[in-house]
Amino acid sequence: MLHELRRELNHALKEPALRWLVLIAFSLSTIALLIGALTISHQKDMVLRLEAAVTAERLLTIKDKTDPGDIAYNLFHLTFDPPTDLAFMALGQRNERPWLHRLRMLALEGQIHETNDSNPEILILGQLDFTFFLSVLVPLIIISLLFDIEGRERREGRYELICAASPLGSRVFHIRAAVKSLLLTAAIILPFIAAAISNNLTILAFLSVLGLIFFQIVLWVIFCRIVTCIIPEAVTAALSLVTLWLLLTVLTPIIGKTAVENSLPVPNGGTILLTQRETVNAAWDLPKETTMDAFIHIYPEWKAQATINRPFEWKWYYAFQEMGDQAAQPKSWALYQGMTDRHEAMALVALLSPALFIERAMTELAGTDVLQHLRYVRCARAFHADLRHFYYPYLFNEKAMSENDLAQLPEFEPCAI
Amino acid sequence: MNFRIAYIIARDEWRYWLRSRLSVAALVAASILIVAALISTITQVQTERTTRENFQAEAINTFESQPARHPHRMIHYGHYVFRTPAPLSVIDLGVDAAAGTVMFLEGHRQNSAVFTPNYSSANAGQLAELSPAFAYQVLTPLLLIILGFASISRERESATETLLYSISVAPLELWMGKIIALSGAALMSLLPLSLGLGLAISAGEHAGVAAYMLSGYALYLLTWVFIITAVSSSCQASSTALTLLLAGWIFFCIVISPVASGIASTGGAYEGKVVSDIAVQQALRGSGDGHNEADPAFDQFKMQLLQQYNVESIESLPINIRGMISKNAEEKQTQILNRFSDRRMEAARTQSRIVYWFGLLSPALALKNFSMNVAGTSLSEYQRFQHQAENVRFDFVQRLNNLHAEQLSYSDDINRSKDHQSEQRTRISPVHWKMLQPVAHHEDNEQERVSESLPHFIMLFFWCVFGAIWSVTRATRGAANAA
Repeated sequence: MLHELRRELNHALKEPALRWLVLIAFSLSTIALLIGALTISHQKDMVLRLEAAVTAERLLTIKDKTDPGDIAYNLFHLTFDPPTDLAFMALGQRNERPWLHRLRMLALEGQIHETNDSNPEILILGQLDFTFFLSVLVPLIIISLLFDIEGRERREGRYELICAASPLGSRVFHIRAAVKSLLLTAAIILPFIAAAISNNLTILAFLSVLGLIFFQIVLWVIFCRIVTCIIPEAVTAALSLVTLWLLLTVLTPIIGKTAVENSLPVPNGGTILLTQRETVNAAWDLPKETTMDAFIHIYPEWKAQATINRPFEWKWYYAFQEMGDQAAQPKSWALYQGMTDRHEAMALVALLSPALFIERAMTELAGTDVLQHLRYVRCARAFHADLRHFYYPYLFNEKAMSENDLAQLPEFEPCAI
Repeated sequence: MNFRIAYIIARDEWRYWLRSRLSVAALVAASILIVAALISTITQVQTERTTRENFQAEAINTFESQPARHPHRMIHYGHYVFRTPAPLSVIDLGVDAAAGTVMFLEGHRQNSAVFTPNYSSANAGQLAELSPAFAYQVLTPLLLIILGFASISRERESATETLLYSISVAPLELWMGKIIALSGAALMSLLPLSLGLGLAISAGEHAGVAAYMLSGYALYLLTWVFIITAVSSSCQASSTALTLLLAGWIFFCIVISPVASGIASTGGAYEGKVVSDIAVQQALRGSGDGHNEADPAFDQFKMQLLQQYNVESIESLPINIRGMISKNAEEKQTQILNRFSDRRMEAARTQSRIVYWFGLLSPALALKNFSMNVAGTSLSEYQRFQHQAENVRFDFVQRLNNLHAEQLSYSDDINRSKDHQSEQRTRISPVHWKMLQPVAHHEDNEQERVSESLPHFIMLFFWCVFGAIWSVTRATRGAANAA
């Protein structure tokens, strides 16, 4: 057995096709990890620079100001979703869905849906991160590596001879496939190990990704073995395998996506925006008591200070901003619920598509899927609420803000996964 | 060259396909996929168009039916523009899924287009897009490979190639026959595309632009026909030809796009809107608050007005100074805002230009860039939408500022917080609210679309010429091998 292994290893190493494929796998794995690492370090760097810029802006904005309404109107705060340690392996939805906002105390529904306006042409081309490499490209490399193992020997007329010469019989080709796959696995995993060490991945994260890599490789090696055993002719086997890849990687997800989206409609963003604007703007024309009564219903503690005597008072202004949010929020939550439902429904599709399964597992581990986006949005909304609750005592007691008061301003803390 | 012989060889090739289960299965599957892609995209585009157009009509309607108000309130009330899909997006959705669909327009600010269709869509991986463009860029080449990988190598394996040459068939005639056969399949596959283009023409697209788009796709498929035949005639074994062709397909159609986008985006040239917004805030500091006529930033402007109208005090101006200041401030602000948004858009275009160069490495990417640009679903068209939205915004805000300056008396304006009568007089009639400009249609910029897609068309042309030359050389040299 050991002898067979050594012989197959020597044999494989001499094969130019295998050398090329292993080299390609190694380079793609490295490039994918590098692109991911560069993207994430760019994002981290951007957060740091923005934090500094926002702090500098804050000092200039609050200079000589004491009116809490005025300060709250002008002061922007940065909220963001910092990339996890594993994000470089699965960039996921980070570019598609905003992970960075500049918020102030105005109605949140008018701000939270703002985007960073990424270049859509770049977005639709996709990204070559490790997840794309593993879920889409690795199967193709495995197919190229394994489709011709028996077929070639048959064409050359050596098939029977090899089977007869080996104590394992025709099972010697399993050994050959295993040896080739192991070499490929090494080429894929080595760059990953280097990246894992330089990024200080936790053992758990490391083993989880390793598990997914093995899962994908073993699965496709099995597919290849089954197909090449059923279809002895190499060309037909190769085409069948590519068709299988197309079916599992492209068609199943598309059909699943179409079905899921049709069965789980979500509210259109346009409705959220229009509702929010109508309620916020209508408040200018409403009797001020109507707004304040609704406000006091939620915040009874400000009942005594809720009478508005002048034509414009900040507390009334911020009260109707929040009332506008209250009106639009159910629609936003329905949208978020719809997105969650769609994500969960796609789990069923992922059972039929290894590529989608890998992508979902990787983005979940890396915290770059839609659920993490929604977690971040909840976090940013909670911060906005903190901000309001911080200012309300100043606004309702009409108390000027001192430097000490401003030092107490809530700071955004990213929520842990 | 005798074309009759070439035609006989082509007919024989077609007959061979019909006898081969694999070829028939591939043909049927590909036809179903292309037709399904076309139908699903048409439905999707139609639904999106109706939804967005309805929202747009609603947005205009609510703006115009607002009650009598102070004009500055209408500036803050704002307006929405919705991005409607171009007629040719039934062929190529392009950036639609990743670009914002609605933009809120208000005074003193430029907002981003929000709610991309991808925002709430179910994530199905990067390759899950079934548009006709995807079917032609990625799937049809695979069909052509399946049909054609063995076209010449098969004759060689079964030793019929030498036989053909011995009965005075020239190598180029054999090659031409195979090219005709494979081009026939490519031409057939273009039928659904022509149908889709016909639909786009009936929806208002120019026939010339549609024909231009069709010729781009035809060039692309022809490139593949040449490449496939070239590889098939350079290989001794069909299996080698298939392996090489599949490797080429993976490289051209699957790998290059994300590599190009990765390289373009890690260049770090494009920072996005949040960074730009902070820079805007810094630049705007000190430019004056248009709500505050006492802001010293407007002292000079006030002096100018007094001189122009030859009066002593702002009270005796024939126009309302508050409206004038608001208008002046908006203009200054907009200049600064545009400076930053232009810079941002230029950075995005730089990013895309990097991707465009990668078209030299892959005909599939060249076609993708060509198709998007000619369809009006590219970054350029998206930026045109952003520009138009900004024009609509600036236009209605300044019209309202004019109304503020001309229709409202200054004394009413400053007393409206204290005096109910004055407040009532500062509300102007809703007849004025019918002022919104529409956003122009995609069909109106066919010249831009054609010129933007032209470099990609040239790239495709070069790919095709390169394929043809390679293919011819291989065919003649391959024949020498066989003999």
